[in-house]
Amino acid sequence: MNYRIEVEDLNVYFDEAHILKDININIEKNVVTSLIGPSGCGKSTFIRTLNRMNDLIDTFKKDGTVLLDGNDIYDPKIDVVDLRKKVGMVFQKPNPFPKSIFDNVAYGLKIHGINDKDFIEQRVEDSLKEAALWDEVKDKLDKSAMGLSGGQQQRLCIARTIAVEPEVILMDEPCSALDPISTTKIEDLIHKLKKDFTIVIVTHNMQQATRVSKYTAFFLNGEIVESGLTDKLFMEPTDKRTEDYITGRFG
Amino acid sequence: MENKRYPRIQFQKRLDHLRDDVEEMGQTSLSAYKNAIETFKNYDADLVNNVIHNHQKLQEMNYNLEQEAMSIIASEQPVAKDLRFIETSIKVASHLKRMGGLASNIADIAKHVKDEKIPEKPMNDIIHMSDIVDGMVSKSLSAFLNEDMNLVRELKRDDDKVDDLFDQALNDISNSMFQEKEAISYMISLLFVARFLERIADRAENIGDRTIYMITCEKPGVADKLNGLISEEKK
Repeated sequence: MNYRIEVEDLNVYFDEAHILKDININIEKNVVTSLIGPSGCGKSTFIRTLNRMNDLIDTFKKDGTVLLDGNDIYDPKIDVVDLRKKVGMVFQKPNPFPKSIFDNVAYGLKIHGINDKDFIEQRVEDSLKEAALWDEVKDKLDKSAMGLSGGQQQRLCIARTIAVEPEVILMDEPCSALDPISTTKIEDLIHKLKKDFTIVIVTHNMQQATRVSKYTAFFLNGEIVESGLTDKLFMEPTDKRTEDYITGRFG
Repeated sequence: MENKRYPRIQFQKRLDHLRDDVEEMGQTSLSAYKNAIETFKNYDADLVNNVIHNHQKLQEMNYNLEQEAMSIIASEQPVAKDLRFIETSIKVASHLKRMGGLASNIADIAKHVKDEKIPEKPMNDIIHMSDIVDGMVSKSLSAFLNEDMNLVRELKRDDDKVDDLFDQALNDISNSMFQEKEAISYMISLLFVARFLERIADRAENIGDRTIYMITCEKPGVADKLNGLISEEKK
């Protein structure tokens, strides 16, 4: 099977708190995988282990393995900056830098040492086009990104992420702060992006999971209760806890 | 972290209400059927009107049920068993409406044959068929409402019996036609009654199939699989 990410027996602790328990999941290449579950179940902690964002927390401990293209991302020899270039992240609240639209997208390229002006200009244009934002901003690239709407800011953040050509894009509730039209645009974008990227998305919106993802994993109390094809999980869940959660009877 | 249970009170009320609507349609359909058979055996113009009225009522009820089901889907966004229940309710309601239509067809024929002296043999075939179909209509409704797989299995067996009786009725009716040429016109009507009964039995069996889908998520039309089970039991 063509897996981009393989997670085996992953356990995560913050101090004594056992946050993720015996997580085993494989993430297929170039498909969208949704992570669902009630607040505090470990979804966000899980995706943050996929690009070592949790390393920034002093009390973080883990055992088990996380492989990206077969390589252990927690290997001491791994360059974390390089890892985060390969595994980009889009957050719940759009977080553009207080810079121009152009500089926001060019930022990642520059910190990775790319200085070729023509190359950067072309990559910024391509990324904004791929993020379905180019037509809306092409005449005001030098204007502050802070003046964009929430939906545009989120697409800008996606353009910023894909500018450095990652392999995986992690999205932590990317639409929860957006109106329905902006949400639709992001979802259309996710469908388009999966051709080139492997996408893992955390969402509280069940319908969003059914709309955008091929696979879904249901987290509860730090464990994966059930995972598999999204259609199957939402139509015919095998575990009673999954059925209760997706039908809205607990959470 | 403790996970609290939420009963989704309003949503559950709407699902319960939908179930009640299907039950009411089932009772109306069953009443239409019983009256249609009664008036076929002993003609009664009031019963004919009652069957026609119930058929019209079923059409209205089916439309309202579909509207309510769509409203629940749009506003509550159900999944899993809830969604299968709603989808099955729509299908079952449609079958019940059609059963009412077929009952209305039988009542209509009763008007045309009321003065005819129907030969005993084909009449007995029809009466025998109608008794089994009567049970099938009740069983199909009960199978859906109580999620009873055993009743679905019984429906399969009953439908086989009805099919055999239909063949027998066909044979007896054609023999009667040969014996009495003047009887051909109302014998054709009798043939239609047998056909309508057989169609009602099929509808009841279909409700059973939809019930299996609702409970197990098995594809509708799993007759072969169940027939396999029945054959096993017979052995």
